[in-house]
Amino acid sequence: MSENIWVVAQDAKAAGELCAGAQALGGVVHAVLLGCEEATKAAAANGAQTVVTASTPAANTLLEGYADALLALFEERGARLVMVQASTTGRLLAGKLASGLHTSALGATTLALDGEAVTVTYLVYGGTAVCTRRIISPTAVVTVGGGVFEAANAGADSAAIEQLTVTPNTPGITLKATAPKQGEQVNLSAAKRVIGVGRGFGAEGDLDLARSLATLIGAELACSRPITEGEDWMARERYIGVSGAVLKPDLYVAIGISGQVQHMVGVNQARTIVAINKDKNAPVFKQADVGIVGDLYTILPALTAALR
Amino acid sequence: MRVIACCKAAPEEQDIVVNGDGTLSFERAAWKFGSYDLNAVEAGRQLVEQVGGEVIGLTVGGEALASAKLRKDIISRGLDSLNIVTVAGSAVPDTLQTAQLLAAGLGKVGSYDLVLCGAGSSDEYTQQVGNQLGALLGIPTLNAINSITPNGTTVTVERVLENEVQTLEVTLPAVLSLTSGANTPRIAGMKDILAAGKKETTETTAAALGVDTTTVSAQVSSVVAPKQTARQRTILEGDVAEVTTKLIELIGADLR
Ligand SMILES: Cc1cc2nc3c(=O)[nH]c(=O)nc-3n(C[C@H](O)[C@H](O)[C@H](O)COP(=O)(O)OP(=O)(O)OC[C@H]3O[C@@H](n4cnc5c(N)ncnc54)[C@H](O)[C@@H]3O)c2cc1C
Repeated sequence: MSENIWVVAQDAKAAGELCAGAQALGGVVHAVLLGCEEATKAAAANGAQTVVTASTPAANTLLEGYADALLALFEERGARLVMVQASTTGRLLAGKLASGLHTSALGATTLALDGEAVTVTYLVYGGTAVCTRRIISPTAVVTVGGGVFEAANAGADSAAIEQLTVTPNTPGITLKATAPKQGEQVNLSAAKRVIGVGRGFGAEGDLDLARSLATLIGAELACSRPITEGEDWMARERYIGVSGAVLKPDLYVAIGISGQVQHMVGVNQARTIVAINKDKNAPVFKQADVGIVGDLYTILPALTAALR
Repeated sequence: MRVIACCKAAPEEQDIVVNGDGTLSFERAAWKFGSYDLNAVEAGRQLVEQVGGEVIGLTVGGEALASAKLRKDIISRGLDSLNIVTVAGSAVPDTLQTAQLLAAGLGKVGSYDLVLCGAGSSDEYTQQVGNQLGALLGIPTLNAINSITPNGTTVTVERVLENEVQTLEVTLPAVLSLTSGANTPRIAGMKDILAAGKKETTETTAAALGVDTTTVSAQVSSVVAPKQTARQRTILEGDVAEVTTKLIELIGADLR
């Protein structure tokens, strides 16, 4: 496909990965960098021939305010495929672009070329199955998550640099305040042992029971989605599943987790799965190598003591 | 305040059976509204409880929506009425088509202040219908909304990004897609379920709305379950000391 692929990224890591991916697809790669001029190098080193930078908007507007300008740009330059970083902002932008380009925005866990058509795969029914779709609309809009492609950083590093001069505008939306979330660097995918905690834990402080075990056996602590989204007890980067982290550890211990398909799809490649749950009919037991039916509040202290 | 809660029914994923060849069998899977769409209904109900008004459900789907049980279930979660747009056949409309159908459905509903969507549907989970709908309607649109506070002609919302939380003021009407943690959907009681049967349900078709659902943006080539790793399924039950000892015996190497 010697056609134009446009990458839309908000940071250097995504710019590098998505440009490398676009290049691997055989396209002529161009990148729009939203509020991250410093990513120019990463884009160019991964094959971007054009880099369009859009500066961080004034304090009360959003990056999404560039949607109309991007739409005009892609129409003018003839984009065949638009690959957008799969962030919250990127998703909203992708949806706006897709509606403008008269197509559907799709998320992709893999992206390939099938003849002249772009083919994407993504998980459906909570991770029960993989759906493969062949995009037939003239322009494809796809959001791409971290790690789908690997940056090669091998390019000539000679992109034509342009600047988007429009002022971003989100009519009817005013940004009043921004509060940083206490960020935490987590690299679950590198962990050999992972302990997952779920709603079986009644209070945030009780997670210490799992933390002690994790420290003892050198495991990373992870969780089910409700622990980060309903409860906010752990960083979002720590939840496992179809919409979260997908891991392949040697050992996964699910504690107080029911074992819904959306969660288990994130660990079903683990070598050994252990489950601790007080409900003997919990679906997690069907997907575990060893299951303990019991109350985590008595099992965990006993297990930790026995291992000490 | 007139709030529209968009919701989609899909087969219960826990009951989908994977056939020997990896294809899926839906025979035993009952249809249900996506658990994240219940957040949209709940958010609408909470707003109306604060400032008055009504919450109208709007759904697009196929013949499964004929089920009285399914309809009653979603109404009982906090809707005042339900609008159904049916699509012929078994094809699932893509996000653009769904957004077009919802936009046309909204035209039938009349005026509205707020359109709410869940974090994503339980089948495709593309997380795009709200975004695409807002773009088609040309009104303020945001995703990942964690809380909504009404202030007359605007709402103040909290939006969760990867590294920060934004507070934004949004002029109505607007389309907002929620996070799954935005609220805890209420469980319907017997009274709500009985009352649901008496609430108004309006039905129309994609054809009647003049929306073409024959040309999709992307054709489905296959839907196949990934290979599952076989598991031992050893279950330990009983005395705490015994089961922990047994666990260490079985997988000790993995623990030390
Ligand atoms: C579109 C979509 C995407 C989703 N994506 C994800 C995802 O990526 N990841 C994810 O995790 N979820 C995801 N979910 C949510 C998922 O469906 C489940 O709701 C969730 O995984 C359940 O979390 P849980 O097991 O912690 O809670 P529950 O299902 O409430 O289970 C709690 C378990 O704890 C047990 N328990 C309670 N007390 C004790 C005790 N004292 N000792 C031992 N056991 C106890 C109970 O028996 C129960 O089995 C998604 C849902 C949807 C609709």
